[in-house]
Order: sequence, then structure tokens, then C-alpha cells
Amino acid sequence: MPSGHNLDDPRATATGRSRRSFLKLLGLGGAASLAGCTAPESGSGTADGGGSAPDRADYVEGTATGTRTLNFLSVDDEPSLNRVQLALDGAYALTPEQEIFPLWADISTDEGRVYTVELRDNLEWGAGYGSMTAEDWIYMITEVFQAEPNWAGFPTASDWRQNGEPIPVEKTGPRSFEIRLQSVDPAFPLRPIMWGQYCMPKALIERYRSDEDQSGLQQDEEVQTLAYAGNLGPYRFERWNRESEFVAVRNEEYYLRDADDVPAEWADAPYFDSFTYEVVPEESTRLSALRTGELTATDVPETQVEQFEGREDVDVKVFPQPYMTSLIYNQRANGAFYEALRKPTVRRALARAVDKQAIVDDILRGYGNVAHTFQPTFSKWYDDSEVTAYGVGDTYSHERARELLESELASTPYRYDGDRVVDGDGEQVSLDLVFAQGSQSLQTTAQLVAQEYDAIGLDVELTGKEYGTLVEHHVYNSWQGDGDPPWNAGPYNGGPRDGSVSSEPWDLILGVTFNTYPRTPSSIRGFTVERGGINFYGYVPETDFGSLFERATSTVDEAERSETLAEIFGALSVEQPFNFLNMGVEIVGYDSAIRGPEEVFGYSWDRNTWRLGSA
Amino acid sequence: MGLKRYIVRRIAWAGVVAAVMLTVTFVLLDLAPDAQLARVQFQAAASGGNAEAAAEAYAQRRGLDGPLWERYLDYLGNLATGDWGWSDTRSQPVSEAILTALPYSLMYTVPAVLASTLLGIAIGLYSAFNQYTKTDYAATFVAFFGISIPNFWFGIVLLLVFAVHLGWVPVLFDAELARTHPFSLANARQLALPVFVLGTSAIAGTMRYTRAEALEYVRATFVKTARAKGVSERRILTRHVLRPTLVPLSTILVGDLLGVILSASYLVEIVFGIPGLGRLSLDAIQRQDTALVLGTTLVPVFVAVIGNLLQDVGYALLDPRIDYGDR
Repeated sequence: MPSGHNLDDPRATATGRSRRSFLKLLGLGGAASLAGCTAPESGSGTADGGGSAPDRADYVEGTATGTRTLNFLSVDDEPSLNRVQLALDGAYALTPEQEIFPLWADISTDEGRVYTVELRDNLEWGAGYGSMTAEDWIYMITEVFQAEPNWAGFPTASDWRQNGEPIPVEKTGPRSFEIRLQSVDPAFPLRPIMWGQYCMPKALIERYRSDEDQSGLQQDEEVQTLAYAGNLGPYRFERWNRESEFVAVRNEEYYLRDADDVPAEWADAPYFDSFTYEVVPEESTRLSALRTGELTATDVPETQVEQFEGREDVDVKVFPQPYMTSLIYNQRANGAFYEALRKPTVRRALARAVDKQAIVDDILRGYGNVAHTFQPTFSKWYDDSEVTAYGVGDTYSHERARELLESELASTPYRYDGDRVVDGDGEQVSLDLVFAQGSQSLQTTAQLVAQEYDAIGLDVELTGKEYGTLVEHHVYNSWQGDGDPPWNAGPYNGGPRDGSVSSEPWDLILGVTFNTYPRTPSSIRGFTVERGGINFYGYVPETDFGSLFERATSTVDEAERSETLAEIFGALSVEQPFNFLNMGVEIVGYDSAIRGPEEVFGYSWDRNTWRLGSA
Repeated sequence: MGLKRYIVRRIAWAGVVAAVMLTVTFVLLDLAPDAQLARVQFQAAASGGNAEAAAEAYAQRRGLDGPLWERYLDYLGNLATGDWGWSDTRSQPVSEAILTALPYSLMYTVPAVLASTLLGIAIGLYSAFNQYTKTDYAATFVAFFGISIPNFWFGIVLLLVFAVHLGWVPVLFDAELARTHPFSLANARQLALPVFVLGTSAIAGTMRYTRAEALEYVRATFVKTARAKGVSERRILTRHVLRPTLVPLSTILVGDLLGVILSASYLVEIVFGIPGLGRLSLDAIQRQDTALVLGTTLVPVFVAVIGNLLQDVGYALLDPRIDYGDR
């Protein structure tokens, strides 16, 4: 338990957090240093070597928003998920090398279609629910995840279905069950279906299942306080002051302490007495608290990294992310330039006009990576030799872009009149660029794009909209033609691009970021095929991506899979369905005493083993 | 009897105002695009899932699965029985959310309003009695400084100076400390800057209004008469100048209180991370938590209606010429 209130120390707070307490624990301050004592290299962060209980520090992370719920069945936001993760480990973790790290369970398969899940035998629910068994999981999957109707409002219920049918699950032992897929899917363990999945005791769910009482479950005291979590996570729920703090304390019963199949550093994890999420809405206040040591870690925007350079007490770490910012072209019939944007040659010409490196270097201040296809360079599926780059080095040229555009516009209603692009009536072509409000760097990127396009003769008008409004006005589209649409792929793709359009016209969009799914790249299929569920931009590929994805997902031969995916990403870089601009990063400032976070994708998988350590 | 009838009529009118505001808010919230729904749906479609099923599940979780009129009638029915609804973005009853947030707001608004009112009136009177002196100019400067400086910016700067550089106060507001030790020195220390920031903006208005109003009476004939009769300066100040000055000032005080609750507190609470009413209502609006927005809408409506009523009653007490007897 935290040390309690020190009402005399202005820097100390309820959880006793302060940089001074870290230094004290490390043996770096005051008398210990004067006496010539050396600080421990690493380890438990204990201040004494005696037999008494180790004196650990408290970890306090600053966040902009609080959690909405602790009922994981209702969680559709990251802050809530982060809190739940403290008390519930989930089925298994994935390492940055994409290997399965068993937590509650291990998952295995012979041929990629039937997966066996084996639970550990020391998993205990809290609140008197006994041991976690396969029965709990089967009930959870069939009566909640796959329930029809979705009475619990589970956000990702469709993940547990294939072709509209529930994925069969079968108990094979007291602590084991099988998941029987309809077809081979070697990437199944890497999808967020069983990976990181949580479970509740069957007896708890049963109380609400018969009446389909979602609100009853939501308001259940045991759900609200994670009382059922027992020994299933590194921390125990302590308190939740809404929109202020969420505090969890070290779980002394943590099941992984008894596990003999995990690396040594997990044996005594976690290495903090408590883990607190402190809600601090104002960015400058969060950064001030990081400077004073009241926060152990918090996100740092790229514009503020500079102020921490040279500070010995704060380490700024940069983690690659799979989220891509693109300049999306409207190829549907309500755009002002759609006849041209439907031509890959025009899109390639436009890609040459925008300096991607300048966006990363000057707008994002170097905190990002140039993108050339629908996959980050750190992905194991990215093959540089297959990818064609535009908008960097020699491939960034206004002259060349205009030259190519001029020749390609010949078969469209547009043409060059002097230096400017005009339509059939001789009027200047003006493109509407809609961007999501709230990010200064995004707005500056939009301004840069407008300048770059102006240099090749295209006017661009900028409009900032709140994200929800942008989606409602420009991303949703529906069939406007006669009769029923020939096909309908959902609210983002209401049918063929000549008949299904958004409620308000647009030409370019910035700010709708795409997940590139580096672990399961076939998940991007919906972005790349004409009838894809997310194809709101009306892209009709020249390459048969559907068949290529089919080949990539159905093979268990990793070499063949790699080759196919490389072909897909190469073709996408050539077709330029949208201008791939850059891959984002997450920037986090840590108290420099923290050891553990590595600057890799998926860095937080081993957060429970992070600790204090000396320099 | 007349005053009582007047009060009853005003309270009944308050009910009508509240009903209109609730209805308008309910409809507007339903019409507003929901960014979280857009994200959830987009994420489902992007990962190959069913966007429509994701939207239905979202509606189920948020209690939005029914026609607008049905949800509205349900809400009114519950409200009539004292149930203000469930906040699904905080996972707690709306009444509990408001009662949890209220003390945090009161902790800094009450001292700020009290201090700014007392000091504002005192300095305003002093300035009126010492017009165009150096101290009057100094007080005027303070007033203009308080009005001009944005609370948001001022709060950030004060935090940088007093918390980061001098270390006199903590940067983060400790809600647990405030809840468990509201009257401790440590709590007073963490509330010092929010009270100061809010106080400086509120004091300015009060002071300038007091000065302007008092100046009207400083040279009034009845004040001159009182002086000629040998009444002490202290009595002139408190009985002959302050009392009539308070009539228009009481109007400003209700406005000040509303301003504090509606606007200034948003900014102060965001900068200092105080989980009070301002942030509660702001978060509720941003997250489109209908029940919580409606609940937090009722609070300022209540303050405005009751505040104005008290102010009208106060007029009669402060100025015997005002009477509601035949209204």
C-alpha cells in the first residue's frame, strides 16, 4: 500500500509519489550517497537488504482522459482498457517478435484451423468464485461474445463469428478448450480475439444472462471494482476517483509468481507498490508534473520534446506505431476532380508533388516515419525491394508532377490552361481538403499540401471539422442511384462509386488515420478491394488484391505468405489508392529511474517487469 | 402574502424553464454527431468486422437503443421519481457524480467568491472615497489586470513559477487528499493557486462596479446632509453609501456565481486538474453522456433561478422602496 499522506511535504501526495522517493529507494540521495554506499544495479528496487518486506516505489502515469468503465465487456476506449489491464492479465501477450507469451493460457495449433487453449492451474477468481476453468470461457464465448442478440453490447462480437456463424468452441478438459475455425488462419493467435482476451466467472454472468440485463451487469459492484479479478493480474483495484485517479495496488497473490515457465524477472513482478493513472486534462500541467517528479510517465507531444532535452531526470522514448496518416482522395462521383483521381497515373503524379520528408522533418519535428505503402518499415512483411517510393528525394518534384499530370489529364475533362488546372468550362479546379480539427501538426500538413498542390496548378480550400462531423458528412456514404444498389458493404461503402456518395462533397481528407496491422496485415483487405467495408474513398484497384489476400491468409507456409504480402504492398505503393504520408510514433517521457521500456512496436507487453534502476 | 405568492410563481416558472432547457438539450445531444460512435464503427469496419453491428452494440451499451421520444419520456419519468439516471461515461449514478464533483468545486469557488466579493467591495469603496489618488490608480490597475489576463494562461504560468520552479505547491491536484482531509494545510496549499486565479478575475468586476456605484452616492445630497449633521465617515460609508450600492451589486453577484460555475471553473479545473462540476459537465458534453449533461444542466439552471429569486428578495430588504406586494 502507498505510504499515505504526508501533509507537510508540498511535493508529496496521497500515494507518496515524488522523484525524491525514487531517489531514496535507489539509494541515490542524501546520507546513502554521502556514506559512499552504492545504489543497486537493478532488481527489486528495495532500499534495504534485510528480511523485511521490500520497499517499492509507486508508479504514476499522467493521462488526459479518465476511464469510462471497468466492465471490459463495454470497453471501447484505450484509457478504460489500460485500467482493466492492471487487474486482469488476459489470455496471453505478444512479444515484439510476435511470439506468444502465455499469461493465463497458452494457445497452440497443429494445422492452423483448430486452436487449443490451455489454462494455467493456479488461476483463482476473487469474490468467492473459485478457480478459472474452461467452463467459464466456454460460457463467456457462447453466451456473451457470440450471443444473439448482443445483449452485453460487446464491442467486437463480430470477431467471434466467421461468415455470420459463431466460431465453434468446445471444452476438452477442465482447463482446456478448442476453437474450431471454418478455415485455416495461421494468424489467428495474433488477432485481438483470444490475444489479450478477458473472462468473467460463469456464475457472475449467469445472474444477468437470462434477463439479458446489460445495465445490471454494468452496475454490478463486483464488476465496478474488479472484485472478481482475484489473483489474475499484477495489481488489485484500490480506488477510482472519477476523472481524477485510478489506483491499483500490488497483488501479493499474483499467479505468475508460481509459474516456472516464465523468465526470472516475472517471478517477483510487479516492482511497484501501486500503479496510478492520474487524469490531468491540461497538457502543460502534465508536463510540469513530469518535471517535478509527481508523474512517473506521460505522453509528450512532438512540439514539447525539446524542453526535456538535456534533463537528467526525464528520459523521452519514442515508440513506433502502426497508425498511418494519409492524404485520401475522393474517387466517388461527388468529388470535383474524381475523374482524374480515379487514374493511378494521376495519383502517382500528385504523390510526386508532396514532400513527405518535409512533413516528417519540419512539421512532425522528426517524430514520425515516411510511409510508402500500407505497412510500416518495421513490419516483418515489409519488403523494401518491392516498394516504389514517391514524394521523397528525386521522386519529389513539382516539375515532374506537372509534366505527368498534364499528359494524364488528356483523357479527363480537365486540362492545363497556362500554369493552372481548369475544368471543361475553363474554370480553375479547386479541391476541398477536409481535415480533422484538434491537431496542430495535421492542420499544418493540410496547409503544406495546399501549397504543394498550388505549385502544380491546383487550388485547395481547407476546411477543419470535428472528427465525428467529418465522418458523418464525408466518410459515410449511401446509394443515391435508382433502385437498390448492386451491392452494399456497409456505412462506409454503400455501393459502386458512381452511385454511392457522401452527404457532402469532398476531394481530399486528412486526419482519418488507418491502422496498418503489422501483426496481421491481411486485416487491411477491406481498404484495398472495391467492396471493402472501409473503402469510403471509392478505390477500384487494378491489381486483384482479393485473390492475393486469399492466398496470403490461407497458407501456413510463411515464405509464401511473405512473398504474397510483399507483392501486395508493392502493388499498393504503385497504385497509390491514397497518398501514404507517414507512420506515427508514440512519445513518452519517463522518470529516468525507470528501467524496462524498449523503443519497439508493442513495447508495453512486459510492463509488469519494469522497475526502478540506477543509471 | 404578496411576496409569498410572488416566490411561488417564480419557482413554478423555474420548473417551466428547466423543462424547456432539458428538452432542448436532449434533442440537441441526439442530433450531434458522436465522435466515439464514429471511431468504434470505423475501427470495426477497418478490422474487417461489421460496422452496423458495432453501432448497435454501442447503442446497447450507451442506452441509446430506442426512439428519441421513448428515451426522453423514460428520462422524465425517472427524474420525477428522483432518479437522475446513470452516467455511462463514469459508471455511476448522475446524482452521485454531481455530489462527488460538487465539493471539489466548492473548495475553491467559495473562498474565491467570498474573498473577491469582500475585497472587491472594500477596495471599490476605498477607491470611490479616494478617487484619482495613487492608491485608486493602483487598485484600478489590479482590476484591469484581473479582467484582462486569461485565467487559463495565468494558471499555467503560476503553476510553472510556484510549483515547478519554487516548489511551494504541488502541480497535481490530489483529489483523495481533498476528499479525506478537506481542511488540512496540504489541501489549502494545493487550492491556493486555483483560488487566487479565480479570485483575481472575479475581484476586478466587483471592485469596478462598487467604485462606479459608490461614486454616485459619495457626492449625493443625502450624504452631504449626513456629513453636515456630523455623521462619522464610517457610518456614512456603511449606511449611506454601501447600502444603496449593494442593490445593483447583488445583481452582479448572482451573475458572478453563474460565471464561476459555467465558464471560469471549466478553465481553472482543466488547468489544475480539479475534478469539479465544470469538468464534469464539460466531459459529459464532449462524451455525449446524455443523462449527465442533463443533470449538470439542471445545476446552473437551479443556481440561476434561485439566485435571481434571492436577489429579488434581497432588493426589498436592501431598499425599502422596492416592494413585491402587489405583483
